[in-house]
Amino acid sequence: MSDPGAHDWSILDVDPLQQTVTDADAYVRTLMQWHFGPETGSPFWLKRRATLGFDPLTDVKSAEDLALFPNIVDEFRDIAAEDLVPRGLGESPKIAAVFESGGTTGRPKRFLMFEDWFTRYLAWAGRKAASGLGGSGINLLATTPSGPHMIGEVTVRQSHALGGKRFSIDIDPRWVKKLIERGQTEELRAYVDHLVDQTADILATQDIGMIQTIPILLTKIAERPELVELVRSKVKRIAWGGAHMDPDTRAILREEVFPGIPIVGGYGSTTILSVAVERKEEQPSGLATFDPFSPYVFFRVVDPDTGRPVPYGERGQIVMNHITKFALIPNNLERDTAIRVPAEDGHIGDAVADVAPVQTFEGTRVTEGVY
Amino acid sequence: MTASEGAPVFARVDAITEAGEYRARAGKPLRLPDGREIGALSEVPRLYVTRAFGRLAQAPVLPYATRLEMLAKAADLFENAVLEGQSVDDYLDLVSLCAGVPRAIAHASVAAIARTLRALPDTLAQEIPRGAVTDLDDPRLRDGAAYWARRGRTLAVHASGNTPGVHSLWPSALALGYAVAVRPSSREPFTPQRLVRAFREAGFASHVALLPTDHDVADVLIEQADRALVYGGQSVVDKYAADPAVLTQGPGRSKTVVTDDVDWHEHLDTIAASVANLGGAACTCTTAVLVEGDLATAHAFAAALAGRLAEVEAGKHRTELPEQTARQLADYVEQAGKGTTPYGRDDIVETVRPGTAVLHPVVRVAADAEAPVLGVELPFPCVWVAPFRRADGIAPLASSLVVAAITEDMEFGRRLLDEPGIANVYLGAHTTTWMKPGVPHDGYLSEHLMRTKGVIR
Repeated sequence: MSDPGAHDWSILDVDPLQQTVTDADAYVRTLMQWHFGPETGSPFWLKRRATLGFDPLTDVKSAEDLALFPNIVDEFRDIAAEDLVPRGLGESPKIAAVFESGGTTGRPKRFLMFEDWFTRYLAWAGRKAASGLGGSGINLLATTPSGPHMIGEVTVRQSHALGGKRFSIDIDPRWVKKLIERGQTEELRAYVDHLVDQTADILATQDIGMIQTIPILLTKIAERPELVELVRSKVKRIAWGGAHMDPDTRAILREEVFPGIPIVGGYGSTTILSVAVERKEEQPSGLATFDPFSPYVFFRVVDPDTGRPVPYGERGQIVMNHITKFALIPNNLERDTAIRVPAEDGHIGDAVADVAPVQTFEGTRVTEGVY
Repeated sequence: MTASEGAPVFARVDAITEAGEYRARAGKPLRLPDGREIGALSEVPRLYVTRAFGRLAQAPVLPYATRLEMLAKAADLFENAVLEGQSVDDYLDLVSLCAGVPRAIAHASVAAIARTLRALPDTLAQEIPRGAVTDLDDPRLRDGAAYWARRGRTLAVHASGNTPGVHSLWPSALALGYAVAVRPSSREPFTPQRLVRAFREAGFASHVALLPTDHDVADVLIEQADRALVYGGQSVVDKYAADPAVLTQGPGRSKTVVTDDVDWHEHLDTIAASVANLGGAACTCTTAVLVEGDLATAHAFAAALAGRLAEVEAGKHRTELPEQTARQLADYVEQAGKGTTPYGRDDIVETVRPGTAVLHPVVRVAADAEAPVLGVELPFPCVWVAPFRRADGIAPLASSLVVAAITEDMEFGRRLLDEPGIANVYLGAHTTTWMKPGVPHDGYLSEHLMRTKGVIR
């Protein structure tokens, strides 16, 4: 780690155990120094500072003050990737990948996944969602998007952690969205069946211990008795993410179709460069509840009309924040709604339960599709 | 979900399958016309529907006689029993309050549904092709005969909520040996709920399901079922036009025509009843009246009909609607009826309680029988009148569920019978809402569900 100037930046080192940040406000103040310091900030933020209408160095004193920032994620559709590299990371920080958003609400946005962040985030996720299968050598079947989409590379790393082989089927979520927008439901059905058929072939012929996929694939697998049998006899863990799973489908899958096999969700977004993991303990609400890697990533659940938090237990729209030395993507009002749940262990922000898509977003009809 | 304060009833409609009643976490409120919440309707996801169909498709086919006995038993249960804690009176309260249907109409519908179920042995005996047998042990098969066979195992029904009477049709599928899943209308889910409970209690344990869903999942029922029966507007009819497995029940556009060999003055009661029976909401209610003669005759007739409807209306045929819906319908009448001449009340919306309104009958004269407005069907007594001449042909009467022809001219009657776009022809002084078990409504449902197969053994 390079160390420009006399600053002590150590508080910004990401801790997979979530223990080094004891004062989130102090963390945020140091982070402002980093992203808006001429020797440490990225070209994007150094330039953008002039048009913010406030001075992040003096006006942002707490995590709460991050709400001063405008939502800048739309600008990530056009920013050159080079302009997103904070200078403080050194000459050539290792970049794992350039990831793009799914394009649910327009053209894709691009984000840099730095290897250092990726490794530390995965260490946290592996600890939080511990399956007991790490190093067991079991094989992973990933029917997920890959290419520009974060989840594909996440499954590569997951498979390394399991110590087995990774079998994969690719999904093109952008094409799915086109089919939905055009009302080509027959084509869509054929495409999803095509995904299920490919998944079935691997399930039938290979020794698969874990499945990572999207909700509709699990539903479709559950509709084919021969596939249900294969999963019951081979699979020790099922993970889903990328789109929403309604609580009734979740209950049917867990209680009736695959009893005894853990079915664990993830709620991710490219705009937070990570996936919030599902709480292990069954919640009194019976709803899937997700915790992000706080304080580096945190959520707020707000009334979109006022921007104020909704009461715990009520539904609001999700505001996402990624605030690390690798990227500053604050105060991003997302397309999704969720029930607000207190964060764990005194971490800042909210946990979210029963995530669901909003119907329209900034005047664009939201086509959630499969991812 | 709790009922709001002061609401007179509480309602809960959940999914029903072989496994019992299932309360989904997802759902939507059930409301009175004035917007007050009185409970909730479950909405099950795709996976619940596909699993339900998996079981329906494996329901054992019971002997024909057993099915008919169970249907008769179900008729008694539906009409009289306390089902899952619900008495008939509770049920009638819900139907009349929620759907805005007058209680007398709801009560008559219940009796009509029960009558239809009890009449199934006779009606199916009439529906079966004369050359067909229903049992492999029938001796006629020794020489070869037609066998009446199901086209599939499962039927999906997308019900509508205009009147409870729509639910008198699909139960015949149970008699034919189908397993049936009904997606209720959120406006009036109570009749199919009670029917499904009655059928289960009567012995159709694995043959019938109630599957309330949201709009998107509704299509899954159609996708999963072998055959489907779908109620809806013109867009629904168009959507499934190319799918032979789907029988649509769209707008009825039912019409009454009066020829000049009879005196229309003598038939005003019949015609007023055709317009206003069943709250004017049924697909068999008269939407247009064609009066043979010149435009002046049409105007004279419309004035007299409006007067007669005002009397009928003083009685019992008032459907209560959310006030906002009533105003939208009134606006739509203005818009669609541009250029037509109104008779009767000018302001057709009457607020009966805050948030609740009734619509007074609309009678309007169009200049000619080709006017497109004659096909505009609204769920309250609303009728378009136009002049007509037999000599000009019957094109204006095509595309009608029912044509009631008040005429002495049987040659004219034969022309109506030959028109493929007309489903039912009632000749003489009959209402378009006339019905009788055994007389088809839009063809026999069995035409959609059954076929003959040649068999010899």
